[in-house]
Amino acid sequence: MEPARHLRALPDGARAQRRLRTVDATRLPADASAGEAAISWLLDLAGRLAPGVFSDIDREIDAKLARLPSRVGEFGYDPWGFSPAAFRNPLRLLALLYRHYFRVELDGGHNFPAGRVLVIANHAGQLPADGAMLIAGSILDVEPPRLLRAMAEYWMPTLPFIGTMGCRVGAVVGTKQNCEDLLRRDEAVIAFPEGVRGLNKTWDKRYELQRFGLGFMRLALATDTPILPAVIVGSEEQAPALANLAPLARLIGAPAFPITPTFPFLGPLGLLPLPVKYHISFGAPLRFTGNPHDEDTIVERMVGEVRGAMMDLMERGLRDRRGVFF
Amino acid sequence: MAKILITGAAGGQGHLVARLAAARGDEVVGVDRVPMAGFEDGTQVRAYVVDLMRRKFEDVVRHERPDAVVHLAFVRHFRTDLATRHKINVAGTRLLLDYCAEYGVRQLVVVSSAYAYGALPENPSYMHEDFALNVSRTYPEVRDIAEVDTLCSAFLWQHPEVRTAILRPVNTLGDSVHSAIGGYLKQSYVPTILGFDPMMQFLHEEDLARAILLSVERKLRGIFNVAGPGAVPLHVAIEQVGGTQVPLPEVALRPIVRRLFGFGLYPVPPGAIDFIKFPCTVSDERFRAATGFEPRWSLRDIFERFRTERERSAA
Repeated sequence: MEPARHLRALPDGARAQRRLRTVDATRLPADASAGEAAISWLLDLAGRLAPGVFSDIDREIDAKLARLPSRVGEFGYDPWGFSPAAFRNPLRLLALLYRHYFRVELDGGHNFPAGRVLVIANHAGQLPADGAMLIAGSILDVEPPRLLRAMAEYWMPTLPFIGTMGCRVGAVVGTKQNCEDLLRRDEAVIAFPEGVRGLNKTWDKRYELQRFGLGFMRLALATDTPILPAVIVGSEEQAPALANLAPLARLIGAPAFPITPTFPFLGPLGLLPLPVKYHISFGAPLRFTGNPHDEDTIVERMVGEVRGAMMDLMERGLRDRRGVFF
Repeated sequence: MAKILITGAAGGQGHLVARLAAARGDEVVGVDRVPMAGFEDGTQVRAYVVDLMRRKFEDVVRHERPDAVVHLAFVRHFRTDLATRHKINVAGTRLLLDYCAEYGVRQLVVVSSAYAYGALPENPSYMHEDFALNVSRTYPEVRDIAEVDTLCSAFLWQHPEVRTAILRPVNTLGDSVHSAIGGYLKQSYVPTILGFDPMMQFLHEEDLARAILLSVERKLRGIFNVAGPGAVPLHVAIEQVGGTQVPLPEVALRPIVRRLFGFGLYPVPPGAIDFIKFPCTVSDERFRAATGFEPRWSLRDIFERFRTERERSAA
């Protein structure tokens, strides 16, 4: 019996690139769950409200998905649980938001290096729409298309449906081991070193990069991975937080409880981000060498370089945009 | 060729290892508490019906003086009470380790389990051998797996003259083994947890038998995960073996399993539920690098074989 080579748990790093293969992602998943049902309902609604909106999107998505490098095995899953078939509908929704809601403009896509890469981006806007748009943009507007693997919170797998969905669309639990494994196998990983500090900051701190964690740099050094700085301009204005009710957030176990012009006054509808225009720009890849276990002060200096590159990108993005909504 | 003593030789996996070893030309000694079934192909195995905890077992080791020992004598089910299970597994292993050191055994292969890591939400997708053995945090009924493993790891360092290999295989399926996962997948209606669908790895029993003998042959020393051909979500495995998934909310499933297990009506305690909720998947890079091991059974072959067997036994 021939062993299923392409299904090997973790193909060896150096030869991994050879094993990448394209997939047929036009089938619908057999395991459609409630989360997926909700997404297809939303897609249906959008299709009904704006007939024909999906004809271009679908054609584009299917072409891109087919060219997405991934190690999908005989049953349609990669070793981390990513499934192109299960990803298709969420991606249609993201593409709809990308093209028609946030009307994203992306530049610097040519800066993506081949092989392993760690995309480092700013994080803002209370809800992680910026992360979702980066993922969509890296497939729709980057040549060749790349799947960005998000590093999820440790509790993601404890959430029914959401945990499974996260896994199917390419996210993994954000442990050091997972990130290293992905990078060693030449995947593209996205990280937000500001974390919730950036995501949940209030309006007065808009477009100020918050303190960066150092973990991403240590991983880049350990795996010899180039860092691709990415900046999103626009997300700060999607949900301007006038205040953050930290005690209430603690009470309900949420990372923050923002008060925005629409939330909580408009109820769940207030969660909807404003239709701001997004500008995503990727800078030139940065390469670092050094000891991944070095003292914080030394690693901080390297992180400072990444942060500086991102500040430049951000300044340029803010200067060049015509307005918040256009 | 070598003389190999196999503990638990009457069990499905033990029987398989015995046959494979004899076919290679090894001299095989089988030990079990119950008599070993014969071999259809006329394989010759010297079989002893003896309990590891009895004095007589020491006599067998003293008399036979095996070159290599494959330790498979573990109680993996819950039909015996937990205290007895724990005693047989842990105290039995302790005695075996002592005899191995005492009677000049040169190679020991202990078949532990990847379950020793536990199924936890924060597990990385591919756990390496130096990852902590966390199973007792959520599934205390099988803490003997982690204890046996730890006991053998200590032995590995204390007795370098006995080359000790600890194998941690993933879910093993096949015609002969009676694994908890096999029993679970054999059901027509397979209960799963609503909203959860963890990645799972499967290994065919013949590939595990080959991995065990490869460890003897290569004089392996250390701790090794044995992972098989790959991972799929749980629902794919259920579909492929011809079962029907019945997703139940966890709040309902847990108490039901607890009650049924308490009354002896369900084969596993509620702690086992975590293994169909969170991943417990491992990296086998180390074993492949050390032995060049390649599983011969693909996932599709494993599932197809399982499906055929189960349809045959149902008919």
